Amino acid sequence: MLKYILKRVAAAVLTLIIILSVVFILVRQMPIEGYFDNFDKLDKAVIDARLQQMGLRDPIFTQMKNFFGALLRGDLGTSARYSVGASISDIIVKKAPISIRMGVLSMALSLGLGIPLGGAMARSKSKLWDKFGTVFIVLVNAVPAAVYYIFLQAYGSNALGISMLFEESNPVSWILPVFSMSLGSIAYYAMWLRRYMLDEMNKDYVKLARAKGVKNSTVTMQHVFRNAFVPMIQYIPSTLLFTISGSIYIESLYSIPGMGGLLVDVISRQDNPMVQALVMIYSCIGIIGMLLGDVLMVLIDPRISFARKAEVR
Amino acid sequence: MNKDVIFSVRNLNVKFSLRGRVLHAIRDVSLDLYAGESLAIVGESGSGKTVLTKTFMGLNDANGWVDSGEILYGGRDLAKFTTEKEWLTIRGREIAMILQDPMTSLNPLKTIGAQIGEALKLHQGLRGSEARQRTAEILTDVGIEDAAHRAQQYPHQFSGGMRQRVVIAIAIACQPRIMICDEPTTALDVTIQAQILNLIRNLIAKYNLTTVYITHDLGVVAHVADRIAVMYAGDIVEVGTAEEVFYQPQHPYTWALLSSLPQLGVKGEKLYSIRGTPPNLFHKVRGDAFAPRSDYALNIDYMERPPYFDVSPTHRVRSWLHDPRAPRAVPPPVLSRINPEGGSLYGE
Repeated sequence: MLKYILKRVAAAVLTLIIILSVVFILVRQMPIEGYFDNFDKLDKAVIDARLQQMGLRDPIFTQMKNFFGALLRGDLGTSARYSVGASISDIIVKKAPISIRMGVLSMALSLGLGIPLGGAMARSKSKLWDKFGTVFIVLVNAVPAAVYYIFLQAYGSNALGISMLFEESNPVSWILPVFSMSLGSIAYYAMWLRRYMLDEMNKDYVKLARAKGVKNSTVTMQHVFRNAFVPMIQYIPSTLLFTISGSIYIESLYSIPGMGGLLVDVISRQDNPMVQALVMIYSCIGIIGMLLGDVLMVLIDPRISFARKAEVR
Repeated sequence: MNKDVIFSVRNLNVKFSLRGRVLHAIRDVSLDLYAGESLAIVGESGSGKTVLTKTFMGLNDANGWVDSGEILYGGRDLAKFTTEKEWLTIRGREIAMILQDPMTSLNPLKTIGAQIGEALKLHQGLRGSEARQRTAEILTDVGIEDAAHRAQQYPHQFSGGMRQRVVIAIAIACQPRIMICDEPTTALDVTIQAQILNLIRNLIAKYNLTTVYITHDLGVVAHVADRIAVMYAGDIVEVGTAEEVFYQPQHPYTWALLSSLPQLGVKGEKLYSIRGTPPNLFHKVRGDAFAPRSDYALNIDYMERPPYFDVSPTHRVRSWLHDPRAPRAVPPPVLSRINPEGGSLYGE
C-alpha cells in the first residue's frame, strides 16, 4: 500500500516537473513586453539591461535552473503588469481564501443535498422523488448555467431583500453565489449516485443479504449506498481542490474578489510571470486532486491493489 | 425417512405484472416438504423453479404477488405476509438460500468475516470475539483452512469454489431449518461441483437441514435428491422419490427430459431434444401445458387440465395418460438405458 502511494507521488512529481518545464519554455516564447509595465516608453538599452538583470538573457538551462531553485524556496516571482512589483504569492494568498471558503461551502452544500437526493431517487425508482429529481437534473443540465445564474441573482436578491453584490462581512450575501455554484454539482451527485445505486441494487449480493434476513433499509445503507459511493469518492478531492481556483462567472457576477477571473485577467494583460505562476498552481491542483482520488480509492476499495498481485487461493 | 411435513404449499398461484400485462408464473402448485429430506425441483429455464422458492421467502420482485393459495410453515400462512417485519422472521432465520453464482453473490467491499458475522448477529445474537470464533468454526466446517486469517480477507481473494463455500457458510451461520440451493453448482468448474455437493450433503447431516435444490442438471439430482419434483410452465407435473422419477417416470415431459440426457445418447446417433418451446405464460394456458410439444398428447390434453393421479403413495403425476379411460402409452425405449444401480448419471 505504502509502496503504491509512494510510487504514485513520485509519478505525480515527475508529471509536475514536465508540465512546469513545458510551461516555462512556452512562456519564454511570449513577447518580452510581458515583463514590463511601461514597455513603450523605455529605450532599448534600458530594456536590455532589465532583461539582463532578470536573468532572461541567460541560456535557457540556467534560467530553468534558477526558476526551479526559486520555486523550491517558495518564490513565485513578482508580477510585471497586473500589480507591478508585487510578490505573486502575496497576491494569491490575499485572493485564494475567499474562493476557498466559497468553494468549500458550495461543495458541502452539493454533497449535503445531492447525496440524499440521489439516494431518495434510487429508493423510489419511478415514483415521486425520482420524478422530481429527474426534472431537476434535466433542468440544471439543459438550461445554460449562465442563464440560471442570472435568474438566481435577480430574483434571489429580490426575494431575500439584499443587494445583488457580495459583501464579505454579510453572511446573507453568501447564500446566492454559493447556491448558484452548487446547483450543477447537486444534479451531478444525485444523477450518478442514483445510477450507481440502481446498479448495485440488482446485484446478487444484495439478494443474498436480503435472503440472510437483513432489513431492507440496512441493505440499502450498508451494502448498496456504501458500494455505490465508492466510484464517486475518486472525484471528490479534485472537485474540492478546483474550488480553490474559483468560479470565473459567479465571481464576476457578484463582484467577489476571489481567484476566479485571475488567470484570464493576467493572460489578457500579458503578465508573463503571473501566467507562469498561475498555470503552475492550477496544474498542481489538478495533479494533487487526481493523486488523492486514486489514493482514496485504494484505501476504500480492497479490490484495487496496485502494489502487488492479490493472492487468490 | 422422517415423514413429518414441515413446509407445505397449497394451490399456490403467483403472478407478475410486466408492462401492463400479467404473467402467471406459478400455476396452482401444491408441494410438501418433509423434515430432513432433500427435494430437487427440476425443469427447464423459465419453468418457475426460482420464482417458486423465492416466494417461500418473500423475495420476489416488487411487481410479483401471491394471487391465491397457502404457504404453511410453523403454523403460519406465509402467503398472507404483507410486511417486511413478518418476512424477517422467516428469511435466514428459518429458510436460508444459496445462490447460483458465487462470483457475484458476495459483497466485494466487505470481508468474508463481516458477511458471515452479519448473519450471526441477526440470528444468533453473536458479536465480537464470540462471533469471530463461530465464524472460524463455520469456515472450517465448509472446508476453508486457516479460517481466522481467511475471515479477514475479501471475496476477490477467493476462487469461485471457495466463494461458494463462503456463501454456504453464510447460510449455515443463519441456523435455518430449510436451505434452498438455487443451482448451487451451475456456475462452478466441473471438478469443483462434486466437492460442493458433497460438502452440502455433509452439512445437511451435521446441521439437520431440510433442503430444496433447484437445478436443471439431472446429474446433480441423482447425486443429492431424496425426492424430485418436475416443473413445467409454472406447474409441478410429476413428483415422487428419486428412484420413482428416474426409473418409473410417468409424465411425457419427464420422459422427454430424461431422454434428452446426453449420458443416454449413443455415439453417432442424434441426441434427443424436445421440439417446440414452452408456452407463453402471459396467455392463459388451456389443458395440459406440455401437450403441444408432446408425442403422447390426447385430445383432452388440449381441452382440460389434467388432475393429479396417484401412481404410488409417494408418486403423483399430472397427466391424462393415467386416467383409466386413456390408451396405454409406452415410454420411450431410450429410458431403459438409465442404470438402476444408481449414480451412473453423475459419471462417478
